[in-house]
Amino acid sequence: MIAVLGLIVGVVVGLVVRPVVPTAVEPYLPIAVVAALDAVFGGLRAMLDGIFDDKVFVVSFLSNVVVAALIVFLGDKLGVGAQLSTGVVVVLGIRIFSNAAAIRRHVFRA
Amino acid sequence: MSTDDTPEQPGGNGDEDAGKSTGKNVGKNTDENAGKNAGKNAGKSTEPEAEKPEPAGQPPVPEAPVPGPAPEAVTPAEALTGRQRLVKGLWPPRFTRAQLTVALLLCVLGLGLAIQVRTTSDNSALRGARQEDLVRILDELDSRTKRLDDEKRKLESQKAELESSSNQAAEARKQTAQKEDQLGVLAGTVAAEGPGIELTVSDTKGAVEPDKLLDTIQELRAAGAEAIQINDVRVAADTYFSGSAGKVEIDGKKVSQPYKFKVIGKPQDLEPALNIPGGVVQTLEKEQAGVSVSRSEKIVVDALRPAKRPDYARSSSQ
Repeated sequence: MIAVLGLIVGVVVGLVVRPVVPTAVEPYLPIAVVAALDAVFGGLRAMLDGIFDDKVFVVSFLSNVVVAALIVFLGDKLGVGAQLSTGVVVVLGIRIFSNAAAIRRHVFRA
Repeated sequence: MSTDDTPEQPGGNGDEDAGKSTGKNVGKNTDENAGKNAGKNAGKSTEPEAEKPEPAGQPPVPEAPVPGPAPEAVTPAEALTGRQRLVKGLWPPRFTRAQLTVALLLCVLGLGLAIQVRTTSDNSALRGARQEDLVRILDELDSRTKRLDDEKRKLESQKAELESSSNQAAEARKQTAQKEDQLGVLAGTVAAEGPGIELTVSDTKGAVEPDKLLDTIQELRAAGAEAIQINDVRVAADTYFSGSAGKVEIDGKKVSQPYKFKVIGKPQDLEPALNIPGGVVQTLEKEQAGVSVSRSEKIVVDALRPAKRPDYARSSSQ
């Protein structure tokens, strides 16, 4: 419950305060958000599986974000940023879908 | 097939969670599970997983080495508990460390999400565009700017042209009005004023012939008179004198003595022209008429002639 509240608070703050993202970070934000979504879905699934561990969640969340941003950064430096970010998004999307499938299995038993 | 696959594949993903957590299950996660399970057991009795961590640290140890299949195998029983766990986690809000950390991270996620959505929707056209597109857009803008600049320059020159031509038109109008005034003075259609002389010829004996008056007019004109009026008749180019001495008619209009000339011109020229020996004044005095000439700085010639439009002659300028 607190977690859901945290999410809502984050969204509201982001919409109301309109923080300005530094341009250096801007290209990595979408990828980081997708990676974080992946971590969240993984955490939700782990919770439904009964094996949720907050430390694991924190580590996986942060590492997901950092690694995703790093990959995009590297891709930008190598000149394949667009393709690499697409690849990252695809992989993360697949993971999100599979996690969502597991969650669905738990919640709807179907 | 894929749906069957998915639970296993995230086994790899959840596996990192699961692998770690099951490894830690003995030490750390047990109390979490225990806390959860305790709540769970209180709410509803769930047999397989619930009881295991509760008794002691021993039973989970044999269970621990089987990370992958474990969730799969227990799925039917676990599914129920999973849903209950969700409900449990949602409703009575507990301020555990786990909840708070997750809340913090989700807050960050929500923030990032909101920022990203906002920035994307703000000026999506350019922000989402690729480099080639941006270059193309820039090129288009450049050429458009150039085109507009050209157009602007053209319009500005047109404007300057129009302004100068309208200035010219105004100038021409002004000149035309001036000319009209000048011509009006000459033609006798407008009143005129200026320096000049007044010449009064009193012919009490009726001895002055119209010829003499005509001579006077000629003399005045020769001396540079610009507007002349005799009594209340304006003298112009087509003025004629008729009648006889004592019954002079100017332009068919009877004029009686004394003849009062109002003449606009340079007084220093006009007066001597009349007074020269053998000139107008002497000739008239020989006819026994009284002549007086006086200079004036302001002579008003206000007798008018109707403007006549010539029947045949047309202006050939233009």
